[in-house]
Amino acid sequence: MKEKIYKIAVFRFDPLKDTAHRFDHYTVPASKANTVLDALIYIRDYIDGTLAFRASCRQGRCGSCAMHINGRYGLACEVRLVPGQNRVRPLGQMPIIKDLMVDMERFWEKYEAVKPYLVRKSNEAAQTYANRRKIEKTVDCILCGACFSACMMTGVNSGFHGPAAFVVMNRFLLDDRDALRDQRLEIVKGENGVFRCHSMYNCNEACPKNIKPAENILEIKKNID
Amino acid sequence: MREYDVIIVGAGMAGLRAAVGTVKRGLKVAVITKVHPLRSHSVAASGGINAVLPQNGEAQQPSDSIEQHYRDTLECGYSLSEPEAVEIMVSRAPGMIREMERWGCLFSREKDNRIAVRNMGGATFPRTVYASDKTGHVMMNTLYEQCVRLRQNKPDQLRFFEEWFVTKLLVLNNTVAGVVALEIATGKMEIFSAKSVIWATGGSGRVYGSTSNPLTNSGWGLAVPLYAGAALMDIEFVQFHPTQLSGTHILITEAARGEGAVLLNLKGERFLGSYEDSKRNMELSSRDIVSRNIRREILAGRGVNAACVHLDMQVIGSRNIKNRLPGVRELCKTYANLDPVRQLIPVTPGQHYTIGGIRTNEKAETEINGFFAAGECACAGIHGANRMGGNSLLETLVFGEIASSGAAEYISQKHVRVPNKQYFENAFEDEKNKISALLERKGKTRPAEIRDRMQAAMDEFAGIYRDGMGLVEAGKIIKELKNIYRDDLGVDGKELRVNYGLIDAIELRGSLDLADIIIQAALKRNESIGVHFRNDFPSRKGRPRHSVVRLQKGKIRIHYLPVRDKKNLFDLLPSVWKAKR
Repeated sequence: MKEKIYKIAVFRFDPLKDTAHRFDHYTVPASKANTVLDALIYIRDYIDGTLAFRASCRQGRCGSCAMHINGRYGLACEVRLVPGQNRVRPLGQMPIIKDLMVDMERFWEKYEAVKPYLVRKSNEAAQTYANRRKIEKTVDCILCGACFSACMMTGVNSGFHGPAAFVVMNRFLLDDRDALRDQRLEIVKGENGVFRCHSMYNCNEACPKNIKPAENILEIKKNID
Repeated sequence: MREYDVIIVGAGMAGLRAAVGTVKRGLKVAVITKVHPLRSHSVAASGGINAVLPQNGEAQQPSDSIEQHYRDTLECGYSLSEPEAVEIMVSRAPGMIREMERWGCLFSREKDNRIAVRNMGGATFPRTVYASDKTGHVMMNTLYEQCVRLRQNKPDQLRFFEEWFVTKLLVLNNTVAGVVALEIATGKMEIFSAKSVIWATGGSGRVYGSTSNPLTNSGWGLAVPLYAGAALMDIEFVQFHPTQLSGTHILITEAARGEGAVLLNLKGERFLGSYEDSKRNMELSSRDIVSRNIRREILAGRGVNAACVHLDMQVIGSRNIKNRLPGVRELCKTYANLDPVRQLIPVTPGQHYTIGGIRTNEKAETEINGFFAAGECACAGIHGANRMGGNSLLETLVFGEIASSGAAEYISQKHVRVPNKQYFENAFEDEKNKISALLERKGKTRPAEIRDRMQAAMDEFAGIYRDGMGLVEAGKIIKELKNIYRDDLGVDGKELRVNYGLIDAIELRGSLDLADIIIQAALKRNESIGVHFRNDFPSRKGRPRHSVVRLQKGKIRIHYLPVRDKKNLFDLLPSVWKAKR
């Protein structure tokens, strides 16, 4: 009996050596791979050890393996291989280090720019049940970069904070205890703030954790008069 | 060469907590990590963190106490725990939760605003603080946020070296001197000199195949200090989590059983009731017992598809699942196409936690001056022969903090002599040559082939049930694999830059050595205690004792040390475990 296989085309590019990218085609036995990440690991283990990609937890929690898979963004460890041809590309809007591995420096810079930490108004104020419920929807973000990559505005404007940073921002704006509210609103009001967002909802579609960054951005906009 | 007061290797929960602690003490700190801090596997911890919380002036559960937490931990660890370390950990627990809370950590809450607590196996009272079933993720974000804040306020004091891979720990005259590390993206190697090094590299589960550990937990984190002269303690104690989603590496958190889920065999019976050791506490028996009895049930032919048992979460109710265990539901949907609200989950035990590790005392000090270890990679003897759920996150925070105060004290009190430049240059050249030599290997065996065979041997012979013959067999296999590694290993890429194949090959050496050590230590311990179960020696023997492993001229040396007496461990009355159902 012929063994069942999956076909996968993988984006390859080494900026120090290649003038253009290419897609390398691989076949992976179905017994060795269920998800796209399984296939990539199989390729690195048994076909070409030089294939570069990030991965760690294998269960959709660490956010390492976000990439563009079969036409949409997702975590390689969460997306199942499809019969026929699979195709993976790296995240967009960020410089490629090698193959599927991109330099996320700008993404983290934007994350840090929104002051992603709680500065409490007073030492005594404790979190409440109701306030926690309000914030809850923002905490699932694993900062994988899929939304940043899908966003048109991050592509055309390198200063734009991008969806993930605004989700983090909203997490602190929603927090009753936060003392930096005015400073934060100052950041989002600015030239690279929330009003750069054109509500194209690409981020919502890209998010593997269903955070709905666009809704968070709308919520932030409502804070500004 | 880069110079720091403290180098922290690893940026999971213990590493980040140590970073906060050392920076706050005014030290100049570098955190070196193989992956971005938020990609560390601490983010996958789901269940929660144990602490007896005084709220409104009283313990959350009126009859619970810090002392009870202490007793539960010792009992769960079969009295192989170091009492002093446990006492320090449980007494500092409430403070750690308060601190996290101040930093903005979003723990789950009761409607009256108290921090919510849940049941975990082995605990007399519900005292596990959680954030739905994403506790690790939420806590890691909080800790990283604090690091970002510190870095913005004190840019000279804290620097992260992300995606740098540590290849060697430098030790001269039994005093730590720094590390050699490789920047993955550029292939640049550098020396980091430091007065003190805090090791926080996490678990080593990938020496097994069936594990919920991430790709990064290869065992290299234990091998590097071992090569530099550190000792490992209780390394034969490997915890298997009862409920790994069958056929995958996905863990179904113990919190599911804490919230009321039950285990069923092929006939739909709650089979834990038919075993003597799990009769009383059923699904909330300690992990070693549940794992063993699941395996027994499967071996007796009452498993589902002869490979797993069922976890029934439907009894919890769909509302509770959605509110308290949303992550479990997501995982089941993504990886098994099933919805636990309506369906049974096939589960089987899998490697989960490395109880043993770098030998430390209750101050997180190792035997090497200035070298500290905290978290899963360390072994202060807290978990004894079996770890209680919810104590590992607690350990990372408490000992991350203790290591930072220890490092600060070490640097301030002792006149730390930094080796001369020549020493560093020689060490650097030496390490560089070693790695270049590895790149030039022309063998035909891929690292993954060796790794797969090692994992298969460990799964089969060094798992939940072990016996002398099997362990000897496993030892032979590992020896053969070490020979293949030495004589016939091949690495694909020929450069240092972005070469994960090379990193796999480097780490594999550590995995093989660690696997060998686990096997030898398991073979030498002729008794069954906690997670270490020998079919050929099914009962425990004499006083509890720790195994200590060192490498001497490349040879594994094992000796034993008694557990230090503090309080009269053997007089502990069996506590009455409250059966919830």
